[in-house]
Amino acid sequence: MSKTYVVPEEIAAANTLEAKLRHLKNIKGSFNVFRVDCGSCNGCEIEIFAAITPMWDPERFGFKLVANPRHADILVCSGPVTRQMYYPLLRAYEASPNPKVVVAIGACGSSGGIFHDAYSVWGGIDKVIPVDVYIPGCPPHPATIIHGLATALGILDQKLEFKEHDNGSSESPKIDKSVFGNLLFERDVLAKSKQLMGYLYGRKLFDKYIKAIKESSDIQDIAKTKKTIERLSSEEKDPRYKECMRTIHNSVYLAHMKQFKEINIADQIEL
Amino acid sequence: MKLLDMTRKYGNATYNYPFEPYVVPEGFRGKPAYDYEKCIGCAACAVACPSNAINVKLNEEKTKLVWEFDCARCIYCGRCDEVCPTNAVMLSDEFETAVRFDRKNLLERGCLEVEYCEKCNKPFTTKKLIAYDLERLKRVGWDEATLADKTKYIHTCPECKKDITVENSTQYFVRKRK
Ligand code: SF4
Ligand code: SF4
Ligand code: SF4
Repeated sequence: MSKTYVVPEEIAAANTLEAKLRHLKNIKGSFNVFRVDCGSCNGCEIEIFAAITPMWDPERFGFKLVANPRHADILVCSGPVTRQMYYPLLRAYEASPNPKVVVAIGACGSSGGIFHDAYSVWGGIDKVIPVDVYIPGCPPHPATIIHGLATALGILDQKLEFKEHDNGSSESPKIDKSVFGNLLFERDVLAKSKQLMGYLYGRKLFDKYIKAIKESSDIQDIAKTKKTIERLSSEEKDPRYKECMRTIHNSVYLAHMKQFKEINIADQIEL
Repeated sequence: MKLLDMTRKYGNATYNYPFEPYVVPEGFRGKPAYDYEKCIGCAACAVACPSNAINVKLNEEKTKLVWEFDCARCIYCGRCDEVCPTNAVMLSDEFETAVRFDRKNLLERGCLEVEYCEKCNKPFTTKKLIAYDLERLKRVGWDEATLADKTKYIHTCPECKKDITVENSTQYFVRKRK
């Protein structure tokens, strides 16, 4: 796969940026889209079809899917361009009238996405034909697709731009104060909460537990802290949080307190 | 007419999206947002990222560690979010990610200061990472002497640390034999 496609001269000449912009201005109110599936996993297709349901109704802007590249103003290409889809993609590209606007949809279309280094793919539409608009996402949300097409037509502005940060600082980021004055406790609580509820809810659980334990009037006092956690965890609406907060208390907090005091079975909270 | 009455009964289901903001549901996975101030350059995210959307590499002159995120490749799986020790990269609500004509706009870069090994002077991590480690180690309840002892080799690269360990243990055995 060394030799890539060279855009024929007459197509290149008819597809200058000015010609495209003029064309996009003309089709602002009504445009036909042809969809080329270049080996996508169909996630992107499902989202394109979700985007043309009445929920999102892109016909408000004149969006229309057509079944033939010869009718198309915009080519929407999804998938990482597998070897098999290389020529069909080129045929669709050459068949569509000039000037043509190519939209790469999905992480695969924009750059190869999760398949970028697989042996059988080209890794993105822009490796084969010139791409004008990128709509990343795996798959992109219908709102992203609509935003992308509206961006293509110049109705909406693009939100992302290249960012580069460099302030040359070598200071440590801020670290929250530990409730015990020993960060190992927080570390264990975080590890346990992620183990119990996964990363997203685990982080929420961690915040809830630390907030609850801060409410206790004396953290070193096992009985008082037990009461506080019992009360606050019962107030949780989601029973998962209730149970997991108590589990953390029984395993992490009591193990931590073991260094200082005797622990007996009565100190555990019932789940 | 009957149809119109029916539609009126059920109301309008279409989101008026581009004309009014679309509110994403809770737990939505959007573009990972990067907080440069918090990032320490540990590269855990780059290791975890299944599609190599995040790359952490030294620049050409080996003066900076460059964290680079390519939004075109991200699949919003959240593994970077999961492993980041400082929550510097977290999935956000952002879904308007399309760009036109210039692919470079999908990139985001953060440059971090590099730490050089005090023995061999090779770059091996970032200054921020060392500062962060020291800051955290100060709060785990060790006294000054233990802390100084345990962080004796913190500015040494793993290679040199290995050499030092071998050196120390050899000397130990030599002394023992005598
Ligand atoms: S971007 Fe994701 S959903 Fe779309 S084709 Fe590729 S893998 Fe499938
Ligand atoms: S969300 Fe997943 S694909 Fe995107 S940068 Fe994070 S780890 Fe990589
Ligand atoms: S895991 Fe977090 S702190 Fe480490 S390099 Fe990635 S963003 Fe930065």
